[in-house]
Amino acid sequence: MGTISSAFNIAKQALDADQAELNVVSNNVANASTDGYTEEKAVWQQNSTVNVHGLTQGDGASISSVESQRDLVLQQRADQQQQLEASSSARLTALDSVQALFSVTSGSSTSSGDIGTDITSFFDSFSTLESSPSSESDRESVLSSAKTLASDISSTAESLGSQQTALNQNVSSVVSQVNTLTASIAQLNTQITANNPTSDAGTLEDQRQEDISDLSKLIGISQVTTDNNGLQITTTSGHVLVDNDSSNQLATGYNGSSLDVYTSSKDSTGATVLTDITSDLSDGGGSLGGYLTARDSDIPSVLTSLDNLAYSISTNVNTLNNAGTDLSGDTVNAGNIFYDPTSSGISGSALTMSVVMTDTDKIAAASSTGGTGDNSNAVKMADLASSTIVSGQTPSDYYSSLVSTLGTTISGVETEYTAQSTSVTQLNSQISSLSSVNLNDEASSLATVERSYEAASKLFSILNTVMASALNIGEETTVS
Amino acid sequence: MCGYGVQSMHPELKEVVSEASRALALLDADRLEELALSCQALNRDLVPLSAEERREWARQSREAVLPMVTFAKVLDATGANLRVIKQLRDIRMGNLGYGDSQILGWAETGTGSVHGDH
Repeated sequence: MGTISSAFNIAKQALDADQAELNVVSNNVANASTDGYTEEKAVWQQNSTVNVHGLTQGDGASISSVESQRDLVLQQRADQQQQLEASSSARLTALDSVQALFSVTSGSSTSSGDIGTDITSFFDSFSTLESSPSSESDRESVLSSAKTLASDISSTAESLGSQQTALNQNVSSVVSQVNTLTASIAQLNTQITANNPTSDAGTLEDQRQEDISDLSKLIGISQVTTDNNGLQITTTSGHVLVDNDSSNQLATGYNGSSLDVYTSSKDSTGATVLTDITSDLSDGGGSLGGYLTARDSDIPSVLTSLDNLAYSISTNVNTLNNAGTDLSGDTVNAGNIFYDPTSSGISGSALTMSVVMTDTDKIAAASSTGGTGDNSNAVKMADLASSTIVSGQTPSDYYSSLVSTLGTTISGVETEYTAQSTSVTQLNSQISSLSSVNLNDEASSLATVERSYEAASKLFSILNTVMASALNIGEETTVS
Repeated sequence: MCGYGVQSMHPELKEVVSEASRALALLDADRLEELALSCQALNRDLVPLSAEERREWARQSREAVLPMVTFAKVLDATGANLRVIKQLRDIRMGNLGYGDSQILGWAETGTGSVHGDH
């Protein structure tokens, strides 16, 4: 039942998000009351051949204006959904590559190995050593499994870093495309606004709309129509990209290993000031938003978990080994099995994880007082497998959570993508069908959407009842 | 069992939910109404089941949760699209003049008080 409630909560959140988007569309239409729109409104009011209620149309140009307005709003809604769809798609592509690193499919060229199995094998090797603490082959097995574990964790971290680097290239490419499009839109604005506001700049506006749609796939934008059908385009966070006849070109530059995005402006002295807007763009939509979210949020989150895992295993195993007696009877110089990450901290522990012990005799299977034949320290190290040493979880459980969380994230993004893609399809269908139809056809088209929505709402409600009942009776059966 | 268009004679519930999402994406009202009718019948038949059938239904329901979330999101996106289209029709039907008050009123309706469009 809890999961059904979760489904409803997610549905409600989606509804709220859609409502917010709808309000943005509404606000854009409300801009018609600003100075920039006054002249357009006057044209409609002065034109006596346009009848109120739209049932009799005498002047094609005025009706065309109204239809353009209608198309614009629908188009803006489609653009908004397209931005989200492109963002989800880009993020999904990046996340799929991340997930491939944790795939246990044999023969996978992208998988770094099965870290889950490595963890089990490593601690099992200590269990084996318990029964014969002096066995050379069992000691070799401990170091061998330690190397496999360290190598797989380290190479996974390295691959995640490589994916971040690859995403840097994607960011650079998208920014370049954005700059080309904004320059083109600014140029079109110049041509469009040079026309008389009442004249039809149809082809130019179509071309501009095409550029805006393309831009929407790349970056989250908001648009405001200005005087004489000019246009200002900003990022969703408000940074100006196009201001009528000028475009504000974005720049990229490395901030550490991360390629960041900058916008330029003039300060009071006229000097150019670059502002890092990367984090704003991550939330903004478009493929740029998706790439940045994957690079700056999703991958770091996985890396942090991997660092935690590597740090905890390394430090706990090292601590125990240093507390025991090695095969030569040394109670103080057994040393570390893994590279000691404590000096550099948790961050980066996965990448640097490695086995530093080369002499199998240095494995301290015995306790500090047990003598070389003792196995009690090996027992303690084997017991780490079931100890909650990584953020309150056992190493295996923690790793399973990492993989599971990644899967849940991907599943959520897939769901978003499906819904957004559907929405874009529906809107494009509406835009296409409404482009040259009369009011009756429009009413019929609306009725189809409405009927589908009502039927789907009813079906959703029934399915929810069916599922809730099925889960309830299933639970009752289980209890009895 | 409700649903059609799937290969099995007895499709899993998750397949039915996915079918509903596809139908809604295509605005296939006929199919959605058929699905609703057959699922309604299914709901009536659900109670007198054997213990084994109940466990099977519980399993299918658990597996259908994710497709159900997708369906919910597609439904909400469609609802938002519908509101935009309705509001545009309001403008077209009643407010060709685009007077100030009408424009502001439209913008302030939020979810949109629908009138005159049915």
